[in-house]
Amino acid sequence: MKTLYILTALGVIAMLAEMFRFKKFLLPIVLIGLLGAIASSVKDWNTNIHYYNYMMTFDNFAILFTIVLCATAFLWFMMSQNFLDSDPIAIGSSKTDHYALVLFALCGGMIMVSYSNMVMLFLGIEILSIPMYVLAGSRKDSLSSNEASLKYFLMGAFATGFLLFGIALIYGATGTFDLKTLSYFISSSATVPTWKVSGAEPLLYAGILMMLIGLCFKISAVPFHFWAPDVYTGAPTPVTAFMATIVKTAAFAAFLRLFFTCFSGMGSVWMNTIWVLAALTILLGNITAVYQTSVKRMLAYSSISHAGYMLLAILAMNDHSLGSVLFYAAAYSVATIGAFTVLSIIENHQATRNQQPATVTFETLSGLAKQNKFLSFAMTISMLSLAGIPPLAGFFGKYYIFTSALQSGYVWLVLIAVLGSLIGVYYYFRIIIKMYSPSLTDLQAQPTAVEEKGELLSFAEVGWDLRIVLILTILLALLLGIFPDFIIRLI
Amino acid sequence: MTMYLFYFLAFLAILCGLMVILEKNPVHSVLYLIITFFALAGHYLLLNAQFLFIVQIMVYAGAIMVLFLFVIMLLNLNKETEPHKSNLVKFAAAISAGLLLVVLVAAMKGAETLPAPATTNADMGLVKNLGQVLFTQFLLPFETASLLFLAAMVGAVMLGKRDIK
Repeated sequence: MKTLYILTALGVIAMLAEMFRFKKFLLPIVLIGLLGAIASSVKDWNTNIHYYNYMMTFDNFAILFTIVLCATAFLWFMMSQNFLDSDPIAIGSSKTDHYALVLFALCGGMIMVSYSNMVMLFLGIEILSIPMYVLAGSRKDSLSSNEASLKYFLMGAFATGFLLFGIALIYGATGTFDLKTLSYFISSSATVPTWKVSGAEPLLYAGILMMLIGLCFKISAVPFHFWAPDVYTGAPTPVTAFMATIVKTAAFAAFLRLFFTCFSGMGSVWMNTIWVLAALTILLGNITAVYQTSVKRMLAYSSISHAGYMLLAILAMNDHSLGSVLFYAAAYSVATIGAFTVLSIIENHQATRNQQPATVTFETLSGLAKQNKFLSFAMTISMLSLAGIPPLAGFFGKYYIFTSALQSGYVWLVLIAVLGSLIGVYYYFRIIIKMYSPSLTDLQAQPTAVEEKGELLSFAEVGWDLRIVLILTILLALLLGIFPDFIIRLI
Repeated sequence: MTMYLFYFLAFLAILCGLMVILEKNPVHSVLYLIITFFALAGHYLLLNAQFLFIVQIMVYAGAIMVLFLFVIMLLNLNKETEPHKSNLVKFAAAISAGLLLVVLVAAMKGAETLPAPATTNADMGLVKNLGQVLFTQFLLPFETASLLFLAAMVGAVMLGKRDIK
């Protein structure tokens, strides 16, 4: 609970920073605050405290996901501040607003990983979503950013409607919002509770289905994914990085908490649905990603397909599910932050040179390794981790999820998932091959080209903070890959 | 008597709800929406939820609808500029909405034999009781909602203010 207080206080401090003129110290304050938030949640380890009539429960699951969220936010603040400070296209709005909104969104994410009452789930999702709707449109002069914001808002409001309807139906059937009471209602088959004879069961089924739809929208599973590519492409790149990591991790934790602890006694109602959703998400996400030319859009589709893999762990529902989703979320967040950092550095560079917003295509990346070995190395590590190549973190994420799904007997689904990740290898390696192959200008090999290259992206142009972020993501991807047991054993 | 009133209000709500989406003129749509909200407020009153009744009329039928009308007038939506959806999209939408209807009808079919909720207290909807529940059992959600509003306010200011370059 203290973690939530710290994050809320940080958000308010960020709002006041402009008025009291300590904008320059805002980043250190926020970073220290995030570390404090992590420390305060570590302190609650194994305590399992309930707050305010079982509204929130800080069990180890919640603490670990809170740490993942805060650590990702830590990396995010370091990567994004450069673009909020010195965006050549004018970010459109001031830095403090961004900070405050992101911190409030983080509070929402924290509520989503630690709720134990469906009212808190709803509030958490809304607190996370509303700042995201605004941030997606924070580049006010860009048409695609405005489109992203509006699309996200309309679709998000629609999905929230489904979620709320589901909660209402479940309340109608059982008379409670509390997850613990609800799971007791559902799983206690020995003493037949009153609602089981009364015919309210279908009401509960419909409610579970509605909540499933609402949550699947938030994690952008096929066929509720139509908003994701446009929103991810249209939003400013740092905001996209936030959406692809923190929003997705929080939504998955919420999904897991609800279905794993609460609806697990009624698996027959929703498991087939999730089976089909997971298969569709993996296949469609990966296949569509192959056909993209813009790197950002490709990453959007790849993030859809990663949601599919994580759905596998929810389906597996055994002892390893929680640990494997946690590990996967951490590995995926680290790799995605790395990829988006490189992407936004290149985007920023292009935009400064051409004085207009740039879209990074696969062609833009060609020959990057020659200009900047560091950037291309960081990108390579991220891509390899996302593709799931050992010994990086992404490989063990996939490995744990697939084994836990196999243990529960989902052989066909695991086969589909392996097929999907093979397709994934194709498009992740396309980026690596592009970066290490000579660009078109190199092939023409004119003497003037050398002078031009001086203007290209050199190592010195990458700021210190960005270098630290990239080194951290590389190290984390390697460390998580070499010592995967460390995290898995925690849950 | 209460039963007839209930059926009348339900009929009114559904009819006006349909008119909202069938009406071509957006201003008429909004007016039908106001009637729908009033019908729903009537339902709250039948359930003895007086606080919700007043809030429904003040917030939805009052404030939000006025906002709706203002936006429609400012955007001048009266022209038929809306692009037409392709038949495939219409077909898919009709199928999925139909499936949803089937699920809901199936769910509601057994609902008439539902046991009365444990907390059936005729005075539950009164302001005093509502406040007591809100400030004891649901204190945390009530306070957390302020965070939501703060975030929404910051967002609105950020979108609304002029850029300083």
